[in-house]
Amino acid sequence: MIDLGGGAAGKYVSQHTQERIRRTAVVLTALLVAIFVSIPVYVMIAIAFQPSTTTFRGGTVSLLFDSFTLDNFVLLFTDTGTPRYLFNSLLVTASSTLLATALSVAAGYGLTRFEFRGKTMAARAVLFAYMFSPIVLAIPLYVIFFTLGLLDSYFALTMALTGISAPFGIWLMWQYFQTVPEALEESAWIRGAGRVRTLWDVVLPVARPGTIATAIFAFSVAWNDFTMARVVMSQDEMYTITVGASLFLDRASIGWSETMAAAVLMSLPPFAIALFLQNYLLQGFNVGGLE
Amino acid sequence: MSAVGTLESRLGELDEKRLLLVATFVPFTLFFVLVWGFPIGYALGMSLFEDPTGTAAFAGLANYADVVTDDLFVTALVNSVVYALSSTLLSLVLGLGLALVVNREIRGGHALRTMMIFPYLLPTLVVIFMWTFLLDPNVGAVNEFLLDNGVIDEPFAFFSSTTWAMPAVVVASVWKYGSFAFFILLARLQAIDPNLYERARVEGASTWQAFRDITVPQLRGAILIIILVRGIWMFNKFDIIYLATGGGPLDVTTTLPIMVYEMAFQGTPDFGGATALAGIMFLLLAVVAVVYFVAFKPEREVAT
Amino acid sequence: MARSIRLEDVRKEYHTAGTTHLAVDDLSLEIPEGSFTTIVGPSGCGKTTTLRMIAGLETPTSGSIHFGDRDVTDVRPQDRNAAMVFQSIALYPHMTVRENIAYGLKVAGVPKAERRAAVDEAATTLQIGEQLEKMPAELSGGQQQRVALGSAFVQDPDVLLLDEPMSDLDAKLKAELRVEVQRLHKEMDATMVYVTHDQTEAMTMSDYVLLLEGGRLAQFAPPGDLFDRPVSQYVAEFIGTPSTNALPATVEIGEGGPVVVGEWFEIPAPPDPFEDRIGDAVTLGIRPQYLSPDGGDHRVRVVVDVVEQLGTEFVIHGTGLDGTHINVVDESVGDATASDELDVGFDAADAFVFDDDGRTICHGDRLVAARSRPNQ
Repeated sequence: MIDLGGGAAGKYVSQHTQERIRRTAVVLTALLVAIFVSIPVYVMIAIAFQPSTTTFRGGTVSLLFDSFTLDNFVLLFTDTGTPRYLFNSLLVTASSTLLATALSVAAGYGLTRFEFRGKTMAARAVLFAYMFSPIVLAIPLYVIFFTLGLLDSYFALTMALTGISAPFGIWLMWQYFQTVPEALEESAWIRGAGRVRTLWDVVLPVARPGTIATAIFAFSVAWNDFTMARVVMSQDEMYTITVGASLFLDRASIGWSETMAAAVLMSLPPFAIALFLQNYLLQGFNVGGLE
Repeated sequence: MSAVGTLESRLGELDEKRLLLVATFVPFTLFFVLVWGFPIGYALGMSLFEDPTGTAAFAGLANYADVVTDDLFVTALVNSVVYALSSTLLSLVLGLGLALVVNREIRGGHALRTMMIFPYLLPTLVVIFMWTFLLDPNVGAVNEFLLDNGVIDEPFAFFSSTTWAMPAVVVASVWKYGSFAFFILLARLQAIDPNLYERARVEGASTWQAFRDITVPQLRGAILIIILVRGIWMFNKFDIIYLATGGGPLDVTTTLPIMVYEMAFQGTPDFGGATALAGIMFLLLAVVAVVYFVAFKPEREVAT
Repeated sequence: MARSIRLEDVRKEYHTAGTTHLAVDDLSLEIPEGSFTTIVGPSGCGKTTTLRMIAGLETPTSGSIHFGDRDVTDVRPQDRNAAMVFQSIALYPHMTVRENIAYGLKVAGVPKAERRAAVDEAATTLQIGEQLEKMPAELSGGQQQRVALGSAFVQDPDVLLLDEPMSDLDAKLKAELRVEVQRLHKEMDATMVYVTHDQTEAMTMSDYVLLLEGGRLAQFAPPGDLFDRPVSQYVAEFIGTPSTNALPATVEIGEGGPVVVGEWFEIPAPPDPFEDRIGDAVTLGIRPQYLSPDGGDHRVRVVVDVVEQLGTEFVIHGTGLDGTHINVVDESVGDATASDELDVGFDAADAFVFDDDGRTICHGDRLVAARSRPNQ
């Protein structure tokens, strides 16, 4: 019996040691990934907020962050087209987010609530569009917009951006509305509210989390877009920030410091989303993520 | 009286219902026809003409033949496959490892999750700025680190090396898109009933056996979807490669999307060829989509 | 081979965000080998934690657990030769029923042919022979439950643990499976521990009932003892439906010794524990089943609130004149209606007396033994 007790105690220790090793490995992995993810971000921030003379002092790169300045941003706003680019970006992002979200909510509701033939085909069409290559779509869109004289217009870019963000939004809302019990609507009808009234008073408020997720995804697509803007916009004053800034490195007058300052500006909305809206975002991921 | 009332209310209901039908389906249909159906049909049409934006002489499948026999096409196809496969598989391995780690509820797991979302949301251009700087031969930290540790003797221009341009693009892509696999696998892991693991322990299974017999089979579907969907997206990826290398040097990073762009917008525009290539890519995607639809029946989630 | 389960001063604390939650508090008891023991109590009383510690899924903060002579406190669950059926049933969704049942054997390295034979035997016993090649999702709730029982059965465990396995089933299936579990217990050479919050289940199935109260042992005894000889007011009220009536009373000095005096009754009490308690407030416990309009040495007046019919019996929910809630279960009270006044009687032999802290001072038999005195 004593032997048996000893054996059990021995196992206890090894089990604990095993657990400790496992835990260390786990923490180490987490740490490595954290470093891999954060180093590029740190480098960007350090360069953007240091005077370029500090960063590139003496031929080597110093990223220790020993002095702080906003000069790079000031330079960006005074010497480059950045204010205009930002304005363009914000405008097309806002309009395409609005359009894609409205379209997704309406389509999601209709596709869920009304019975019609070919639902399977509709679902496949949405999914197919969602997997589609933006650049392949960009080429005919360019020709069509060219023919219609709509190149270099906010309208064309808004349509193109909605084109690539709406399929996923529709898919997300379609799935989301299926989790909203029809009994909620029926109970409102029984109490005398019409369908439209019900939509406004019951359906939309209940669907708000899905709507927010859709809006976040539509926003990200538009804000991050390079492909569509590159194809549709050819005049400097119509460039979005991504297209405008992509040309910075080729210009002698703009160095890394201003470029990284622009990068920081472009990172602000994603940063805010990751920080404050991540739960809505994760909801979207569970439906299938986004390109 | 009451019968009339019922009829009236029913008519009213029908009218409202019809109104809603119109309000929800018209924009949906219009959108798909205008932004998807028409352009795709238009492009497929263009691909049958010589110089479709100019003289527009019908050429049958000549454009297709030209594209397929172009040496660059084979190169680009191979590059696309290499790029899509390597970036997808690498994301999958890293995402799986990290998902298993975070699923164990370590301290700071939540912060790690937030951190992982961030690269995914960053504009591609920002990612390329970061990596271009890090890998820069003159100022880049990676070169500095490798030089200091004696791994290399002289600075190395990753994005302009014929050997290292593709791996460098893949690393940047994994940095940005890797969290897709992570979040999907994490969600799947968290959906597994913890009692299954406890039951396995009580039944005598070791940690490894429980992983092999419970975790892996439960993740199989998610892994296949990641390979398929992420794989398609990476195969069609344009911006990250274009911004990093522009397809160079010497076309080692020229994938099909880059080739399409170059044919359409660089040098003398060749819209016949570009749309033919787009048609080929459309066909490839359609094949994969059919596999996806048949194997996973994703439409079942909304239409039963 | 079945083994006894001995818990010695077992204590389990959970630490979350700086606060310590005591789930199980100094639990000591010995479950005899081969017995069927039910752990019962309200939610949050520590019954599942206790079961999980026996399984090895949780390690006690202090104290020890023994299977027979073996100290298993720190033995991994894999090495305890226990089997467990979970509340969520926990069937592997990607394995067929056959693979599910055989998984423990497979892990143990039992050859395929033997596995087949064992699964077939279990399937016959549990009447799921037709379902063996199906996936768990294709089965009904009751069938899934049988599969879970089957995988425990083929393991031939020393100890079989069941964590509220029937909480999601409807009443009819529950009754069926209750019989199944008891039959399994007869066929298996295993000590069974069954967690439930349903005291009817506990009372009907088991050899022993362990009733917990806030992580502590309230009473560990055969079901009949819990019903007839509760050690506290908590036990008396938890066991039995409807709950035991608690009538306020005081101990006074009567002509021939101490008496327990309530609104309507005066019960002679033995001098031994009661002489020291003259003037104390006590509670008289009497089960609704022992209250009847005809007969009884002592009487109580009840104002009827609601009458429910329960098969051949009727349940009266009423109020005593002092406002105490009183229930009566009897076959002959069916024609009572709301706000009727009803006189019901009981025998001292069926009553319990609890002190101010809810501990039992004495049971009915000692009240009767006190002395007999004619009652008017």
